[in-house]
Amino acid sequence: MTEEKELVERLGRGDTEAFRELVETYKKKMYYLAFDMVGNAADAEDISQEVFLKAFRGFKTFKRGAKLSSWLYRIAYNASIDHLRRKSLVPEAAEEAVLDTGKGGFGEATSTADPAVTAETRLLRARVEKALGKVSSQEKTVFMLRHYNDLRLDEIAETMQISIGSVKSYLFRCVQKLRKELGAPGTPNPLEASDEGL
Amino acid sequence: MKGCKKCRALLVGALYGELPRKEKDLFERHIAACPACAAEFKALTGTLKTMDERLRPEPGQDFWEGYWDRLSRRMEGEKAPGAAAPAARPLKAFSGSFWSFRPRWAFQTAAALVLILAGIFIGRTVFSPRQAPLEASRTAGQTPAVPPGESDPVLRARNYVDRSKLVLLALVNYDPASEDPYGLDLPYQKQVSKDLIRQAGAIQSDLKDPSQRRLRQLVADLETILLQIANLESENDLEAVDIVKQGVESRGLLFKINLSEMGGDVSGGGREAGVEKTPAQETKI
Repeated sequence: MTEEKELVERLGRGDTEAFRELVETYKKKMYYLAFDMVGNAADAEDISQEVFLKAFRGFKTFKRGAKLSSWLYRIAYNASIDHLRRKSLVPEAAEEAVLDTGKGGFGEATSTADPAVTAETRLLRARVEKALGKVSSQEKTVFMLRHYNDLRLDEIAETMQISIGSVKSYLFRCVQKLRKELGAPGTPNPLEASDEGL
Repeated sequence: MKGCKKCRALLVGALYGELPRKEKDLFERHIAACPACAAEFKALTGTLKTMDERLRPEPGQDFWEGYWDRLSRRMEGEKAPGAAAPAARPLKAFSGSFWSFRPRWAFQTAAALVLILAGIFIGRTVFSPRQAPLEASRTAGQTPAVPPGESDPVLRARNYVDRSKLVLLALVNYDPASEDPYGLDLPYQKQVSKDLIRQAGAIQSDLKDPSQRRLRQLVADLETILLQIANLESENDLEAVDIVKQGVESRGLLFKINLSEMGGDVSGGGREAGVEKTPAQETKI
């Protein structure tokens, strides 16, 4: 029996230690996925906890044979969307505003005042954030899930409940746009970016 | 160069190392032979490397060490709403069964069901007079009113129009200049078009009422354009796609569909009784 199967069996039996193992295994993944979605550390913790609460309460709905991580990612994705809705960041369609968290987004990351980090690196990070702000919310979500959370393309499709073709399409367009933003001659001067991002 | 399009379609998989062996070989062979695609691949790889510079704040060791305690306190708090959860015994929250929350959720589900049923009841009683005009317009000897649903020819026609609209939008919004190899799934759209064409004849013949003349005409117009789509020869037949797009525009099909959705001109001078869109239809597009 594989480790995951065993864990699922124990969870099904209501094993407390198994639930703790689940939390310890996935807490970072859920936290960072939520952070990428909502762009705020406190909310990310709140959402990641919500994921485990939902998993705890709804474990009966977990289909045996399915992948535990995919199930949790799906809960985390939905919880993040719900969170954005509740905070009125998504006035109409959730998808439109996912990750469009404005200045409160990843500012924390770029503003980290680590003296070891060179000014050049900080400028580059500011440009990266700026470039991410230029792509559509769906494209950004797919990119975040693939690039920063290491979900495979099929896992992203399952998480977002879209086809794998759509996942590839969003990702392709996102990378193209990022390339344009980061490499185009018209890209704002890093010194300009520093005023906004740092 | 030959194979560039295929190469672009494999690009995303290649960038993230998700290509199966066979496709990986194909991609690598093409890259080795095509400087343009090789340059594109190199540039995108560089972009992804740059994106690695993005930093997510690390909450710190204390945060992770206290995570379980905070979570268990929260669970305890939610288990006994109103009562502050004692921080000293977080693990005891899990000493019971996994399904200890079940009664609470059962009540919530029951409450939701009651609300839904009440909504249906109110909807039926309050909005049922909408069917009155249909009753009034029916001449003696005609078949009894068909409840809105699959057997209603107008609803079927509208469903047909909705589905056709999705196909048309996919084509009209497709921009070959975007160079997005995933932008248009032509084989799929062709298959949907074929399915729709098969239904078109029956739908038109069911729309017998003179007031449905324009809706019938719209279905006929759509059938013509869907036929063109179904007969597109290959995925690379971009010229033919353009011709179809021009056909859609010259016939004003999307405009007519929009009018039809608003219950306007196309349906024959106003919204017909029994043709109110169901919520599911409203949200479909």
